[in-house]
Formats: sequence, structure tokens, C-alpha cells
Amino acid sequence: MMKSKKFWALLLALAMVLSLAACGGKDASSDNSGDGGTSVVAPEDQKTGGTGSEPADGESDLAYVQGKGTLVVGMTDFAPMDYRDAGGNWIGFDADMASAFAESLGVKVEFQEITWDYKVMELNAKSIDCVWNGMTLNDEVKAAMDTGNAYCLNAQVLVVPTEKAADFESLTSLEGLNVAVESGSAGEDAAQALGASTTAVAKQADALMEVSAGTADAAVIDLLMAGAMIGEGTNYANLTYTVNLNTAQGLESEEYGVGFRKGSDLVDAWNSFWSAAIADGSVLETGTTYGVQESLILA
Amino acid sequence: MVSFFRSPEFLTVLSALNTGFVKTLQLFFVTLVGAVPLGLVISFGSMSRLHPLRWLTKTLVWIVRGTPLVLQIIALYYVPGLKGFPIWSGGESGRFTAVAVAFVINYACYFSEIYRGGIQGVPAGQQEAGLVLGMTKRQIFFKITLLQMVKRIVPPMSNEIITLVKDTSLARVVALQEVIWMGESFMKGNQGYAGLVWPLFFTAVYYLIFSGAATLLLGKLEKKLEYFR
Repeated sequence: MMKSKKFWALLLALAMVLSLAACGGKDASSDNSGDGGTSVVAPEDQKTGGTGSEPADGESDLAYVQGKGTLVVGMTDFAPMDYRDAGGNWIGFDADMASAFAESLGVKVEFQEITWDYKVMELNAKSIDCVWNGMTLNDEVKAAMDTGNAYCLNAQVLVVPTEKAADFESLTSLEGLNVAVESGSAGEDAAQALGASTTAVAKQADALMEVSAGTADAAVIDLLMAGAMIGEGTNYANLTYTVNLNTAQGLESEEYGVGFRKGSDLVDAWNSFWSAAIADGSVLETGTTYGVQESLILA
Repeated sequence: MVSFFRSPEFLTVLSALNTGFVKTLQLFFVTLVGAVPLGLVISFGSMSRLHPLRWLTKTLVWIVRGTPLVLQIIALYYVPGLKGFPIWSGGESGRFTAVAVAFVINYACYFSEIYRGGIQGVPAGQQEAGLVLGMTKRQIFFKITLLQMVKRIVPPMSNEIITLVKDTSLARVVALQEVIWMGESFMKGNQGYAGLVWPLFFTAVYYLIFSGAATLLLGKLEKKLEYFR
């Protein structure tokens, strides 16, 4: 938390300096307004970042989305939740359900690929309206966004080369192992909790490449993704997954949820949409299409 | 080997990389068209006899050259929205505009220093000759100084231009889908292909061909300007 406050303060200071410099060419008096701006603005934004009171000042996020007529869904390419078919269209469990949600709001859906590390910033800068991409509901996510009810279960698994799988089977600690993880992911937390020295990479797929290139001993990724991406018949046929890190830590399974801006009334809209979709069977039906039916939360 | 180049896998990847490279080229040309003139304006600022203007311009150049371009892109794209003034339109086009603005400002600052070196490197005797011939200050600048400066700056500008081709890959930090982003997308999965590593490395071919063409063109330009010697 402290670290992120410092980051915001620094970023804003930079922005202020940049904007000061940008309009500085005209007159020297912009010096003063720039200085005043920095001190006033920094604490204000920490508040926004921490509690996100921004949309709470009267304006409805739902009305904002309906006003512009599109729901911009922030996601990454993450089979089987969001991925492109051969025609280049976004499909997957999350993508199909997001289209249905947008339809229920009477707006068009727009899929926007984002850099995962910047999801909170994208949301608060309103360049996207929700994060819907097999997002694990960890503490950081819950602190920075308002989320809908959990809809899917997940676990973190250890991916290793198939020929070495036997060495890892009954492992309860990852000490001494160099493990590739997606930066900022739930897998990173789990690997560190079990004593691994971690190498943070940009994407879960990059972590798989580390293992298959031999630059990391193992990788930690989502169970759902491991099921879809490695093993026989895939391009990572030489990899397999063994240890369930949630079980190894004695933890519950993780849950996936959809993230909205703090204080957004889209959360309620989403929750009632989802209950209706469970009731009419469309959640199960879509889940079965993409092979995630076992993990769905249908209560 | 030949059959691989005809396989659906290769063709799918190729068309995705082509789409990405078009974005790369757009960013490259927009940056060049914006930064070449803006750099000249900034170089006038840093050579100005007005002390405050010179100081401000030099501070701007210091900040822009002294911070990573990738940080400037992130700040420029996200900070306005975070402050409640989303100035960039949504979707791909807004991302492109924000990134292009960041690139133009960044490269203009680098160009301005090259221009300044070129202008100040023209011997004072040339301007004195102009004065002797009764030319106005304006004529001296455009017909003597600027013309000779152009010849001098071609090699350092070629350096920057070739760097620019490759720097465009930084734009993927705000999810602008240029050619490296497209190459990486096949590692995670794109259009039914997942776990492909070769598309990422294959993007090098695009950069090499393009920088090769740029090198040839700039070399020709340098030859053309040789009569100034």
C-alpha cells in the first residue's frame, strides 16, 4: 500500500512537471500554478486511488456507460476465458458472457486488450469500464476495485517439464527452485509463500516459455489456463502440471470475479444479470461450450 | 520447409504480423512528420537570446531526454483520465493518438539538439560572407545556414530515425497492438494458435527490412547533398 502511494505521488509529480514544461513556453507565471497544483493534487489522488470515491459523487456509472452506448471490457488473450477465433473475433467463456451482459444493459460490447499490470489504472482512467478476464479475487484486486460475486473457481498449479514431473509430485515446499510467474499474479504470491525464488515475467504464457526454454525450473499459472495450454496436442506437449499450490498451502480454491470502478452501480447490475443467467441456464451452457463447467459457481 | 511457408499457421501469423507492422509504420511516419519541424522550433528556443525562454526550453529537453520514453507514454495516456479529464478518445485510436504525441515530443527534443549542433557548426565566416553580399538576416538563415545544416545533420539524424523504427515497440506498454505485441500474442494464444514462440522472433525480419530500406534511402540523400562540400 505504502509503495503504491509513493508510486502515485511520483507519477503525479512527473505529470505536473511535464505539463508545467509543456505550457511553460508561453509565460513564466505558469510556474506558480504548477507548484500549487502538485501539493494540492497529490493527496487528493491518493484518496481516489485508495477508496476510489470518484464515481460516488452523484454520477451513476451505469448511466455513464449507457450514455456512451458501449461497455468497454478490459481483458487479455487468456484461453479459455477470452481468446480470438480463426476469424479474429473474441470468444471464450468471459467474452460470450460479457457480450450478453452488454446486451442486457442495452449497449454494445467493445473488447479492449490491456496490459494486465495496468488494469486498475485503465479502469480509473475510464479507458475501460470493467475488467473481465478470469481475474482472481485477491486482496489487491478487492482493495482497488468493486467486484461482482465470484463466478468461477481456480487454483494455482506448478508447471514442469514432463520428464521431471516425478521429482515434483509430493512437493510441499518450493525452496531452492527458480520459478517463473506472471508479474502481479496470484501465482506470484503463492510461489513466494512456498519459498521459491521467483522470476516475474509479463504474461503467463511467457512463464511457460521460460520453462520450456530451460531458463526457469518451473512456472506457476492458473489451473484453467494450464488445462487449455499445455500437455499433449498443444505446442507445449513437453510440459505438465503437478502440484496444486493452493492445496500445498492449505488454502481454499481461488475465485474469479469481474471488477468495476469503486462505487460503481454496475456491480449491482452485474450481480442481478448473473443470477438471472444462472437461473435460465445460460451460464452453464456457455461454460460447457468452453470446457469450464466443472469450475463454475452455480449457487 | 517450403510447405511450412504455405501452412495455415504461417499465413495466419503473417497476416497478424502485417496488421501489427502497419501500426508500427503509422506510428513511425506520424512521429517523423511531427517531430522534424517541432524539433526545429525547440532548437530555436534553446538558442534564443531571451533568457527565460532558453531556460524553459532547456528544462523541457532535459526532462524529456532524462526520463524513459516508456514512462512518458504511460503518464501521457493514463494521467489525464485519472485526474478526471479523459482527453484521449476510447479504443485503439485514443491509444494511438496518446502514444504518437509522446513520441513526437520525445523525438523532437532529440532532433532539436542535433539541429542546434548543425546550425552552430556552420562557420561564422559563412554568415559574414552573407552580410558582405548584403543579404538580410532572414536570407542568411534560410539560404546559407539552414542549407548547410541539413547536410551536416544527415548522419546523426539517420541514427535517430533507425532508433525510432525500433522504439515504436515501446508503444505496447499501453496495449497499442504493434508488431511485437502481435508476435507475443501467439505465445499466449491468438486465432487458435497458442504457445508459438517463433512469431516473436520473426518480427525481427520486418525491422531489418525496414531499417535496411531506411539506411539505403538516407545514404542516397547523403550522396545528393555532397555538392555542399
